[in-house]
Amino acid sequence: MELTKNITLGVYLPGKSFIHRLDPRTKIIASGIIVILLLMIRSYQAYGAVFIFLAAAVIIAGIPPGYAFSGFKPMLPVLTFMWIFQLFLYSSPDAEVIFSWWIFTATDAGFHMGTLITLRVIFLFGITTLLTLTTSMVSLTDGLESLLSPLKAIGLPTQELVMTMVIALRFVLILAEELDKIVKAQMARGVAFDRGNFIQKTKKIFPVFLPLFISAFKRAEELIIAMEARSYTGGKHRTKMKTLHIGRVDLAAILIMLIFSALIIFLILTVNPTI
Amino acid sequence: MKTLIEITDLTYKYRSGGGNAVTALNGVTMQVYRGEILAITGQNGSGKSTLARHFNALLTPGSGEVIVDGLSVNDKKNTAAIRRIVGMVFQNPDNQLVSSVVEEDVAFGPENLGLPQAEIVKRVDWALKSLDLEAYRYRSPNSLSEGQKQLVAIAGVLAMKPKCIVLDEPTAHLDPKGKREVLENVQRLNRDEGITTVLLTHSMNEVVHCDRMIIMDQGLIKLTGAPRELFAQAEQIKALGLDLPAAAQLAYGLKLKGLTLPGNILTIEELVASLCQLP
Repeated sequence: MELTKNITLGVYLPGKSFIHRLDPRTKIIASGIIVILLLMIRSYQAYGAVFIFLAAAVIIAGIPPGYAFSGFKPMLPVLTFMWIFQLFLYSSPDAEVIFSWWIFTATDAGFHMGTLITLRVIFLFGITTLLTLTTSMVSLTDGLESLLSPLKAIGLPTQELVMTMVIALRFVLILAEELDKIVKAQMARGVAFDRGNFIQKTKKIFPVFLPLFISAFKRAEELIIAMEARSYTGGKHRTKMKTLHIGRVDLAAILIMLIFSALIIFLILTVNPTI
Repeated sequence: MKTLIEITDLTYKYRSGGGNAVTALNGVTMQVYRGEILAITGQNGSGKSTLARHFNALLTPGSGEVIVDGLSVNDKKNTAAIRRIVGMVFQNPDNQLVSSVVEEDVAFGPENLGLPQAEIVKRVDWALKSLDLEAYRYRSPNSLSEGQKQLVAIAGVLAMKPKCIVLDEPTAHLDPKGKREVLENVQRLNRDEGITTVLLTHSMNEVVHCDRMIIMDQGLIKLTGAPRELFAQAEQIKALGLDLPAAAQLAYGLKLKGLTLPGNILTIEELVASLCQLP
């Protein structure tokens, strides 16, 4: 599948490692904590600690490091652009100028800001990739359903929302294949998608998405009838085949997370921020 | 009680885009008997799908009555109970599977019934085993062949332990191998589990293996009977825009050319036997 090549986010690598065996709720919360920590970090030392932690997790999970890194490839242009943007636009009054040309001035403050923000994006991407690589979509949605369930008290239809996600996940690939078919059918009738300027190219997209949308709605209608025929009446009265359990591995993971969070918070508080 | 589904003078109209009603069913009276395999055939637009959707209360009658196992479809209170009795399998397996994991999809129906966890696991195990799908238990339906996907859809209905399964052109999207797999399994479930089966199909070769058949045309039932009886009336079948089973077609063609084969031929085996009897 050409469309999904090179995308590691959302791919699941089955395995039996410590991380694979964790309850999805533990993994979701742990990832959430790391995300929050990442947003607070402003020093290279703290990033170093996060890097060691994530690298260890990747090794324990048995993910080939090369594969883990390949996911960054499509992001490189954006990351580079972001870094350059920060380099020239961010400055502080006492910053040292590295070089200056015409209206562009790069300072050391801009350099550090660019690097820190780029690192932050890389790590945010890394932690979400790690989560999806080690957790199947089904257990992710199960975990999410369980974590969201308190919100039922304020009237949020959590089970229905999660069911929507489950169905969406199932149809991503089906619709991607369908899109591929439509594109090929139009190419067979002489549409050259790679020719013309930006506006001409964009115009060619509409005749592709229209049939895709129509087909998606038709599928949705058929699916609703099939679900109704299987007695689906919404989340009420539904039971689950699988229930989640917090086990010994989860307790160990929670302990590790506590120690790691304490360390990062300690680093945030004691090490002078680079910026 | 011999009859599972009793339909009396059923009519149904669709509202079309222009606001005028299109009559899909125009006074249908029929029965589905317990334990049989009933084939319903007819050209596109003959009303067979509309009829079948009344069997498990997906549609409610415009007028007339549909009684499923003693429960009237007209009464909304019976809907949940009727859907437990009659399960439905549709044409396109991709548009009826819900989950990205086979086992989870099979569990979808029992989960909707609010069964206890242990019972759901038991039923999923049983349904997967019945259709020989255990090897695909943790796979994604996307990675299966169309025929296997359709078997997963059947397993999902089977796990609800219905008395009757209605299959709406279940083989239309499948290759020959998939068609064979699905049909063999449907016949086996009927034989071993005693599940009443209603098969909507265009393929006369599939009808041959059914106990009874109904031919529909323009919202009406034109012919009812055993396939062997009905296919003997070749002219009438053809007038309704349908074909004969391949073997019967050949025998019919030979008869037109002046060679009448002995016996009433429906299957390839019978054709061979009959040809061998020729002097």
